[in-house]
Amino acid sequence: MINHHPKFELIKAFVNGDLPASLSAGVAIHADMCPVCQQTIAQFTEQVAETSFEEEYLDRFIVDDNEALDAVAAIDFDHMIDEIVQSSDISIALPKVEKTISFDDKIYTIPTALNSMELGKHAHIGKLTRARIQLNENEIHTSLLHIQPGGGVPEHTHKGFELTVLLAGSFHDESGEYVKGDFIMLDSSHQHHPISTNGCLCYTVANDALHFTQGINKLLNPIGSFIY
Amino acid sequence: MQTNLLSRPTSAKSTSMSDKINHPQLCQWLESVASNRDKEAFTHLFQFFAPKILRIARGKFPNEAQANEVVQDTMSNVWRKAHLFNQEKGAATTWVYTVMRNITFDMLRKIQGNKEDNLSDDIWPIAEKMSSEAEVFDDHLEHANLLSVIEELPQAQQDVVKGFYFREMSQEQLAVHLNLPLGTVKSRLRLALGKLKVQLGEEHD
Ligand SMILES: [Zn+2]
Repeated sequence: MINHHPKFELIKAFVNGDLPASLSAGVAIHADMCPVCQQTIAQFTEQVAETSFEEEYLDRFIVDDNEALDAVAAIDFDHMIDEIVQSSDISIALPKVEKTISFDDKIYTIPTALNSMELGKHAHIGKLTRARIQLNENEIHTSLLHIQPGGGVPEHTHKGFELTVLLAGSFHDESGEYVKGDFIMLDSSHQHHPISTNGCLCYTVANDALHFTQGINKLLNPIGSFIY
Repeated sequence: MQTNLLSRPTSAKSTSMSDKINHPQLCQWLESVASNRDKEAFTHLFQFFAPKILRIARGKFPNEAQANEVVQDTMSNVWRKAHLFNQEKGAATTWVYTVMRNITFDMLRKIQGNKEDNLSDDIWPIAEKMSSEAEVFDDHLEHANLLSVIEELPQAQQDVVKGFYFREMSQEQLAVHLNLPLGTVKSRLRLALGKLKVQLGEEHD
């Protein structure tokens, strides 16, 4: 059962369209598997929409802001309407075609949220395989990370945040077991050492390299940026 | 401003819907646009939504032209996609909000120098009449001359497409019905869809 969900703050930012694509997709992937968050998102979207389009809200704004009122007046709405209704095009909704990806001969369905994203080549290190997702979000790095049975990531912390959404399989760390659908957001106060006994596939987002903390693992720090 | 919209009572079913918006009226206008390409109804929708979309867009884009583009793109989508709006799945305001939010998101990504990859509809699939794919296709046959396009597919692909969309058979049922391996049914369907998309000019976005 899914035990880890995005905080409400994150869901709010998601609905408002204020999160970067990487985190937005993370929330969407989780919600696809989590009816609870799905419902929260639906309800909150309805509320935000309602508030956005309430007449009163607009009036209040306009009274406060002459510049915005001018902006409204400056647009030739009639012209825009004419232009729009001239088109006889209608949009057709086609069913989405399922995309797959394979890691170590196993085939996985790619979550819908990632359908139009560009994937980099597989890179391997030990039992880990990573495919970078090319989102061009500067310091934020997004990847699909595959861990073969028995593999893991040495104990580490992060200078920024690290989001993991489990797409398939399971792993565990000091805090417990994680299953498919879990949304695990960690910050620099967390230190962990995930191990996957039976293998797993994760969607990961991090805004800084991993920082390995323990003994000999410190030697791994130069590859910390490989994984996330 | 459309003050008449404020005073009318509404039969909104959801608790978070206030009585400040006349939801049944919005739905009715959308319905008219969908079924009759009703320009007057669209004008009403435009007058209701456009100034508010502009205000919201001005908060996200300092550039006036970009804010206008959000209004234009959102309202164009309302015109082209009204038939996909599904009252059962939520309020008209929610639907328009989703369209606006998605357009804004893709535009911001483009402007911020990330990429022009239009990810929003994958991240926030718009609640459309997708529950039954067959229904969507049935509804828009005349508009899309879909049938004639399908007739041009190779016979093997036609059988699969017609069975799947018009007779609402599952891929598994089709495999049995056509005496084909499931994999073949799936790959024919995928191939046919690819061709249909090209033929229909990718109008689905
Ligand atoms: Zn959840």
